[in-house]
Amino acid sequence: MDIVIITNNKKVYEMFKDKYLVEYEDITYKEILIKVRNKVHEGHEVLTHPLASSVKPNETPFKSIIISKKKGKLNYNSLMVIENSIATYEKFLKLKVEWTDAVLDDFRTIDLTMIKSALSKN
Amino acid sequence: MGKIKVVQYINQFYAGIGGEEKADYKPEVREEIIGPGMAFKAAFKDEAEIIATIICGDSYFNENLDSAKEKILQMVKKYNPDIFIAGPAFNAGRYGVACGTIAEAVQTEMKIPVLTGMYCENPGADMFRKSVYIVETKNSAAGMRAAVKKMAPLAMKLAKGEEIGSPSEEGYLSRGIRKNYFAADRGSKRAVDMLIKKLKGEEFITEFPMPDFDRVEPNPAVKDISKAKVALVTSGGIVPKGNPDRIESSSASKYGKYDILNYTDLTSETHETAHGGYDPTYANQDADRVLPVDIMREFEKEGKIGELHRYFYSTTGNGTSVANSKAYAAEFSKELKNDGVDAVILTST
Amino acid sequence: MKLELGYIYINDIKFSDLSKVENGTLYVNKEEIEAMILEDENVKSVKVEIAKPGESIRITPVKDVIEPRVKVEGPGGIFPGIISKVETVGMGKTNVLKGSAVVTTGKIVGFQEGIIDMAGVGAEYTPFSKLNNLVLACEPVDGIEAHEHEKSVRMAGLKTSTYLGKLAKDIKPDEVETFETLSIVDSIKKYPELPKVAYVQMLQSQGLLHDTYVYGVDAKRTLSTLINPTELMDGAIISGNCVSACDKNTTYHHLNNPVVHDLFEKHGKEINFVGIIITNENVYLADKERSSNWTAKLAEQIGLDGVIISQEGFGNPDTDLIMNCKKIEEKGIKTVIITDEYAGRDGASQSLADADEKADAVVTGGNANELIELKPMDKIIGDIMPVNTIAGGFDGSLKEDGSIVVELQAITGATNELGFNKLTAKEY
Repeated sequence: MDIVIITNNKKVYEMFKDKYLVEYEDITYKEILIKVRNKVHEGHEVLTHPLASSVKPNETPFKSIIISKKKGKLNYNSLMVIENSIATYEKFLKLKVEWTDAVLDDFRTIDLTMIKSALSKN
Repeated sequence: MGKIKVVQYINQFYAGIGGEEKADYKPEVREEIIGPGMAFKAAFKDEAEIIATIICGDSYFNENLDSAKEKILQMVKKYNPDIFIAGPAFNAGRYGVACGTIAEAVQTEMKIPVLTGMYCENPGADMFRKSVYIVETKNSAAGMRAAVKKMAPLAMKLAKGEEIGSPSEEGYLSRGIRKNYFAADRGSKRAVDMLIKKLKGEEFITEFPMPDFDRVEPNPAVKDISKAKVALVTSGGIVPKGNPDRIESSSASKYGKYDILNYTDLTSETHETAHGGYDPTYANQDADRVLPVDIMREFEKEGKIGELHRYFYSTTGNGTSVANSKAYAAEFSKELKNDGVDAVILTST
Repeated sequence: MKLELGYIYINDIKFSDLSKVENGTLYVNKEEIEAMILEDENVKSVKVEIAKPGESIRITPVKDVIEPRVKVEGPGGIFPGIISKVETVGMGKTNVLKGSAVVTTGKIVGFQEGIIDMAGVGAEYTPFSKLNNLVLACEPVDGIEAHEHEKSVRMAGLKTSTYLGKLAKDIKPDEVETFETLSIVDSIKKYPELPKVAYVQMLQSQGLLHDTYVYGVDAKRTLSTLINPTELMDGAIISGNCVSACDKNTTYHHLNNPVVHDLFEKHGKEINFVGIIITNENVYLADKERSSNWTAKLAEQIGLDGVIISQEGFGNPDTDLIMNCKKIEEKGIKTVIITDEYAGRDGASQSLADADEKADAVVTGGNANELIELKPMDKIIGDIMPVNTIAGGFDGSLKEDGSIVVELQAITGATNELGFNKLTAKEY
């Protein structure tokens, strides 16, 4: 399929690496957003909403976003969506919480199910 | 509790010192009530007294921002007032910016309430409405009575630490701060009532005004650019060397129209920028970097464009209000049209 | 389609040897409930407790709240497609144990949120503090997957609610309210002068812990469609959503949808309330486009003059909301949208993640980031630990005297986007 999954979630990488192009990097939630914005600048299209899930962006450290493999002209809708998402991320107060491994694993699972639910339909 | 102590800030004009020619008047404090202070005194009755008035020229303040701010702050500190009132500045741009700047500084440094007043399109309003209370006034000093009528009671409330009502109740410019409260009806009923009003074409009030959208539909493409007369317009402050119209470095109160008929290239000898909002070094070295006259002349020669329009228009975008910018553009767009210009390249910084 | 809702007012709840409803008191046999829930092999243990209005009790993390109802007459049963067969509901008679609810709690994921305080300042922000609640705290067997765990707790709540509802089957209601929706053609004949209005309900449908079910179908696998208002009253829509406590719609909200009730109030007087369009909130942007296209198309097809659009959840549903609003307005149909805000603790940030000038009529359920201090309660039902870290909770939010400072978003139902509450916000 013509998609790329941009993620910092090991679970997403493990589950989809053999099936799709998955770009995994051990970076922050915000860095994922920025990376996707850069991809949009290069002409990729954002396919899943960057703020998918109601888990607030200052809680979960994990984020996976699906973009198009194909590069075209700059897609303004994609740019709006990713810029709005970055703005929304910025306005949330940064929490200084040490999550336990179990909670981190829950966050990975939630993020994974978002991507799963997106892919199962397409 | 004794009388509430007030220190007021006004400019050289309201102090009766003079107009534009005295705008470089240095900060000065007088232990008396001056100009608009008389109206405030009457409105305060016995509740409060103005213990000092600080005067500063508008040009002086804006051109010596840091030192003027510091000096005035020291003056205010000396009197240790319960509230600081700046202005009202009405539609005077530099005065408004000065009022906002000094009010914000007093509020942050001294942790005392502050209040100013200005016309909603004063550039100072947009710059400071989020940080300080700004009472909305008319656009000229003719609105003094009305301004004092709103400012004096709000000042008393602020000084006493009383709860401040909504912008429409108190008369200040909305600060864009969302606060929760319990309404009389639940949300669904409010929604149904709002929809019924909307369906009937009656007036309704949205509970969340969408952010301001000032979108402009792009014009259709120029059919043949090689035949088109193209003009240059910039908010990057490019002016002939010496800034003959004295366009302000920020919150510009005017724009300039300059002849480039005899120029194929702008140089540090001929042009510079008046803009105070970015490092001017590179623009001053070569103004083509902001206003590309050199390239346009090349294009003209190569036949890529029809011709370069004889005049360019310029102002500084730095802190200049949207309303002013619109007014300038409305004016010179007519000229451009009359001059048969087909397309305009707008450059910013 | 016509439904009579018979309200049996409950003003007390007690444990007893025999489950029954008598003189406004709901008597519950605890052992029977426990045994019923433990039939699910994924549930290791369950604690059944009572929480009444005014008691010093904090329930957290809350998963769902459900109002006990029972079908007295007419086809089908409550919660069709899940508890009852998939037969179409919304006709005949249904009895309601008004003033009572089943509340499910239990940590499904470690960051789960949702507080119901039965007393104090927190109680003012959640509608469930006014109910006589039977609270179920379920512990799953070890090693269970999160989605199975969620399902077990969801089913425990629905089963218990059904069990309690059945106690009301042969009781004469204290009050009866009738709701009727005619076919669109008939309603236009009956009210030719009135503007035709529908309700567009957006359902959370993003994945695990964010799901909603319609007649048992996962809403993310549906196209926007029409549903009768009375179907909602019989439990056609249930919540599988555990995230975003303040603005998620519990099953209780779906059963008592306030937009439906308030549109019925004006029906036949100032408007002609013709029905509901349900649509989803999916993750894929193309899905959002498709669903909102369908919503606008349906609105046009049935010839509407106006709609109210409600939202569920935080962040990306703002995009669905704005798409729906814009596309429906572009058809020349007037809209009012209901949302809530994330304007930051100081209220100074941009409230929504998406916006459009066509959204000129907005009702807000308030700023979910605003802080609130909750005094300690004598009793905790559930697990207090997550509160210190969950949404709205933050480092150091737990004070020495046991009170916690949280954002409103931690409180179940506080900024509901169906307009269930009086809470709202204005600009200062």
